[in-house]
Amino acid sequence: MLTRRYLTVQELFDEQAERLKLVIIAGKDGLNRKIKSPRIQKPGLAMAGYFAQIRAERIQVLGNTEISFLQTLSHARCQEVLDAICRASISCFILTKKLSPPPELTRQCNKHKIAVLQSALQSSVFIRQISTYMEEKLAAQTSIHGVLMDIYGRGVLVLGKSSIGKSECALDLIVRGHRLVSDDMVNIKLVPPDVLIGSGPDLIRYHMELRGLGIINIKDLFGVAAVRYRKKIELVVMMEEWKTSIEYERLGLDERTTRILGIDLPLIKMPVAPGRNMAIIIEVAARNQLLKESGYYSARDFDRKVGDQLTKKALTGYEGDIRE
Amino acid sequence: MPKKVVTIKNKLGLHARAASQIVQLANKYASEVMIHSNNMSANGKSVLGILTLTASLGTELIFDVNGDDALELLDKLAELIDNKFGEDIED
Repeated sequence: MLTRRYLTVQELFDEQAERLKLVIIAGKDGLNRKIKSPRIQKPGLAMAGYFAQIRAERIQVLGNTEISFLQTLSHARCQEVLDAICRASISCFILTKKLSPPPELTRQCNKHKIAVLQSALQSSVFIRQISTYMEEKLAAQTSIHGVLMDIYGRGVLVLGKSSIGKSECALDLIVRGHRLVSDDMVNIKLVPPDVLIGSGPDLIRYHMELRGLGIINIKDLFGVAAVRYRKKIELVVMMEEWKTSIEYERLGLDERTTRILGIDLPLIKMPVAPGRNMAIIIEVAARNQLLKESGYYSARDFDRKVGDQLTKKALTGYEGDIRE
Repeated sequence: MPKKVVTIKNKLGLHARAASQIVQLANKYASEVMIHSNNMSANGKSVLGILTLTASLGTELIFDVNGDDALELLDKLAELIDNKFGEDIED
């Protein structure tokens, strides 16, 4: 489990200075403060004296409204409200639209060791950009032993014990024209509210380990069209050894699901046995998933046909085959 | 679940050949092996997975083994790492 649920102001600056057009203008000692929420706050009401809702460890965005309001305050009152906001252990202040900070803000932030950053973007654009970035950065994440493939545009996560043939199956799928996202290990991020995005760890990206062949690079061997950087996960296939004691799905009428990071995904339990070409079966599973997403369930439709046939026979008492 | 903390002692750290030794050993046993290090986890039967841990000299690995033959495997794994994967013989 990769659990990293905060970001420091320094990290935000290092990674986003260019995109968000950021510069540090005061409070350099506060760069190691943590940001724990992807949501930003505009402390307008706090400046007017209502401090109850100021949240710790959040970014405070100051736009034109906030700065011009501060300028209407007396020097003493301005110091007082900023002091109170700083005491709420906020992450940092970011001024938008290249606004310059009032001297009281610089003084209070240097005193409380809170960084003041300035962005050239206007508030609405800035808030949109930083929220997307922070949501991705602070998303719940985990890593799973498995293979993630893009099959006909569907993200299919193949799970199963080691040496059950996940990588071999993935290679088969790649040869059939599908795209590899990651083999062996998949990092999964939750993008609120319910999207799971999988990608490979940087070091082993596009590599695959096959028994007998060793480590190979799929991008080099099959080209850029055989790989994908990341993919939304839409279907989970669990490969398992065929056990005679287990009754596998024969109809496909009941939808199974599995839960990853609190999100339910459709699950197919796929028994592995000699003579079963897993790649083709998984490919068909992806096709069937496409069909289901467009509202058509083969199994249910078939079941309805059988039901109709049975009702007709019961009504007419006819023994032979009834044609529509 | 039996667990053991082992520190990487060979100079080169957990490189590809070392990782493959762990995997080869783990695959002789039926137990499931998870290796945790610095908030990262990897399946002990996957070479690529182990390599993502980028465990250099001095890194602590937590082996988490689950299964009937877990205790024996755990001892063997610790022994392999303590023996520096058969490297650094000269010192």
